[in-house]
Amino acid sequence: MRRLLIFFIALPLFAQQPPPAPPKPVQWPPMTEKKLDNGLTVVLVPLHNVPKVECDLSFLAGRGSAVAQLAARVLPEGTATRSSKQIKEELRAIGGDLSVNTDPDSTTITSSALSDFTPRLFEIVSDIAQHASYPKSEVELAKTNFANEIEEERSQPDFLAEEQLAKAVYGAHPYGFTVPDPKALPKVTASSLKEFAAARYVPNNAVLIVVGDIEPGAAFAEAKKAFGGWKRGAAQPAVPTAFPKREKRTVYFIDRPGSVQSTIYIGAIAPPRKSPDYIALRTADTILGGAFYSRLTRNIRESKGYSYSPTSFAVLRRYAGEVTTTAAVRNEVTGPAILEMLYEMDRMRVEPVTKEELDSAKTYSNGTMALELESQAGFAQRIRTLYIYDLPRDFLTTFSEKINALTPADIGNAAAKYFDTYRGAIVIVGDYKAVKAQVAPFGDVVVVK
Amino acid sequence: MRWTLLAVLLFASAAMAKDVDVPVVYYRLGNGLKVVISEAHAAPTVTVAVYYGIGFRVEPKGQTGFAHLFEHMMFQGSAHVKKAEHAKIVEQNGGVMNGSTRLDFTNYFETLPSNAVETALWLESDRMRSLDVNEENLKNQQNVVSEEIRVNVLNQPYALFEWLDIWQAANQNWYNAHNFYGDLHDVEAAKIADVRQFFKTYYAPNNAVLAVVGDVDPAAVRPMVEKYFADIPLQSVPERPDISEPKQTKEKRLTETDKLANVPAFAMAYHVADHDSADFAPTVLLDLILQGDDSSRLFQRLVKEKEIALDWAGGINFELGNEFDYDGPMLMVSRATYKPGHGGAEILKEADAVVHDLQQHGVTKKELEAAKVRFRSNFYSQLESTFGKANLLASFALFNDDPQRINKVVAQYDAVTAEQIQSVAQRYLVPENRTSIDRVPEKK
Repeated sequence: MRRLLIFFIALPLFAQQPPPAPPKPVQWPPMTEKKLDNGLTVVLVPLHNVPKVECDLSFLAGRGSAVAQLAARVLPEGTATRSSKQIKEELRAIGGDLSVNTDPDSTTITSSALSDFTPRLFEIVSDIAQHASYPKSEVELAKTNFANEIEEERSQPDFLAEEQLAKAVYGAHPYGFTVPDPKALPKVTASSLKEFAAARYVPNNAVLIVVGDIEPGAAFAEAKKAFGGWKRGAAQPAVPTAFPKREKRTVYFIDRPGSVQSTIYIGAIAPPRKSPDYIALRTADTILGGAFYSRLTRNIRESKGYSYSPTSFAVLRRYAGEVTTTAAVRNEVTGPAILEMLYEMDRMRVEPVTKEELDSAKTYSNGTMALELESQAGFAQRIRTLYIYDLPRDFLTTFSEKINALTPADIGNAAAKYFDTYRGAIVIVGDYKAVKAQVAPFGDVVVVK
Repeated sequence: MRWTLLAVLLFASAAMAKDVDVPVVYYRLGNGLKVVISEAHAAPTVTVAVYYGIGFRVEPKGQTGFAHLFEHMMFQGSAHVKKAEHAKIVEQNGGVMNGSTRLDFTNYFETLPSNAVETALWLESDRMRSLDVNEENLKNQQNVVSEEIRVNVLNQPYALFEWLDIWQAANQNWYNAHNFYGDLHDVEAAKIADVRQFFKTYYAPNNAVLAVVGDVDPAAVRPMVEKYFADIPLQSVPERPDISEPKQTKEKRLTETDKLANVPAFAMAYHVADHDSADFAPTVLLDLILQGDDSSRLFQRLVKEKEIALDWAGGINFELGNEFDYDGPMLMVSRATYKPGHGGAEILKEADAVVHDLQQHGVTKKELEAAKVRFRSNFYSQLESTFGKANLLASFALFNDDPQRINKVVAQYDAVTAEQIQSVAQRYLVPENRTSIDRVPEKK
């Protein structure tokens, strides 16, 4: 009985949610940007959460060909003076990690180490960037392993859906290229990779971002020492900026017999990241499905129980982007789930968002931007977007002001423009025989081979 | 400029690297709730986390997946926070939230701008005090959890065999050897009375740790904790059942076929020493030397020299957490996908060659030093976010009643010797202590 009594007394005290203390303005760490004579942009940001450092060297060289992807993959596998194994052993000895990743716009050497060893890390990254040797044995191993990895990725429903959606949205543009045909890999030569590296991995096509437990002046001196002697390269080839216009909604079905779920992606083209629509579009996406307390989650998960993680994202890149709504649902509810997804996208275009929804999305956007300061790698990634997408350098300091100025009409306009359910693509990966009848009502169905 | 000097040493000693000192305020409320507060001001954020001492390892027999299903129910409403409002309130305050079920705890946490710390404390206290759920919520979350199991397990190639299957194959005690994610049938059979009973049994303040980490003043947080948590009544929590694992005496080799995979995969697991054993720290460093990164012995042998595996990954508490956030029998797991045309027996042969070499010749001084630097660097990464730090502090409080341990770990690992590592390899990395699964694509 004692428990009940305490519980009862407790009620009036704590029934109300306590109001938060006034928000503290975020103190963004100072960002120092310098240019070396060879054209390399160096950005230094102190972030003293742990005695580590993140060092990312990013090139404007997208993943749009087999050569681009293999050149990146073999890049850290040997230099004129270090074998692949030596590089990895030296990294371990400084608590270091290093990987090379490609995305539609860029190739990045992502690395980190204990901050005591910052100069050592710079020296290794610089050696890889300047003197990658593309040893024949490493190239051959990478070709075989990459072909097998592509086969492995093609067994994953999300990979298949994303690959098809990129094709449907970007067409023949390099953004539509996700991975090479494994059969094309044997023909790639070591010399073509070396040529690609020599032409594209050059300082005047790169930005070096250093975030962590550093003193910017000293770190810059070390960076200059490590990267200053790197030779400038030729001008870079232009990337096409034309994208196809879709005429109508189409359902692309990738048959994966034995699937116990339909993996659904609904997507359409979006503007470049630099677009003035960005702030409104990202906020519309937050309200639709970008946050947990979003319309998609409330409807498809918490009310109907169709899916574990329905979500939406607006991914805007240097030349264009995409807005995507996605959910993995059990076979029996494939049709009803697509209906609800389209409904929620259309509702964003038609009905104004409520003040409560918009206010929440604003606080959420501001708060989660500040949370990025909890990770050196995460914050470096944020800084990287300024350079890869050519954004104003005051992006972070003006973000809050721009978000806070949004009105429900701004959100409605962005949604009407980009949540294009009429010309968008619906990609489904699943068991075609099991769900065929459920998908037919949503448009012409193309079964992708 | 200290680091410029250090840089000339190719393999500087780990002991020279900077130390981290995590401030820790630790105390217990009258109702038994353990409270850890740690201030950190690098970012204007805070994590509030509650760790309950109940994980999927000891969920009720015959109800696989129940601990996890229950975790979902903790977001379905409490006396003053209706269904879906928890997420709404956290996001309205600029934060993110989640929960997770692990071997030996279930955690609930929010990371948000630090001005909202009191709101987060209120939210956690409300559900610790007064879960309020009904049949309809349960039915909804049974559907959601079933979809979670489909999306993460049943509709995926490999189906998480490197933990879901290998734990079941390697262990004999049901508590260590059942389907932790849950059979769909069991998930669908759960009753609302079971949910209420589970809450009453395990979700007591005296079975929990509250961690508050970030941009806060501990002196200001203490009265808030008192206000929201002090009068939640303690309950009698049952003793943990016997989860000890009988010693494995014979090697186990299993083969599975995979309907969805295109490329074969392999996993193996050795039973390892208990947390509190002198063998444990050497085991962690041994693991790093064998498979801690791309310079490690197994990666180099299997991926680079023999060109059999496409990748190699592994660790202690692999894919479920880290070397500190559990409390009970444990496995060191390895996982690889490999080139078609090879087989699990071949991988075992090569892995054994690596292990035999280490058992016979030990590790070099350079290798030992590098492993210690690797350990330190990985450990610092865990301290980077307020959540990562909260996870360690809460685990040390829950399992060791000693969150200060966070500041003793690095020195403890720096003291490990090459002889200890060799000895651990000789005693634990033997075939009769090992289980492996060769997972091959079904013929199409």
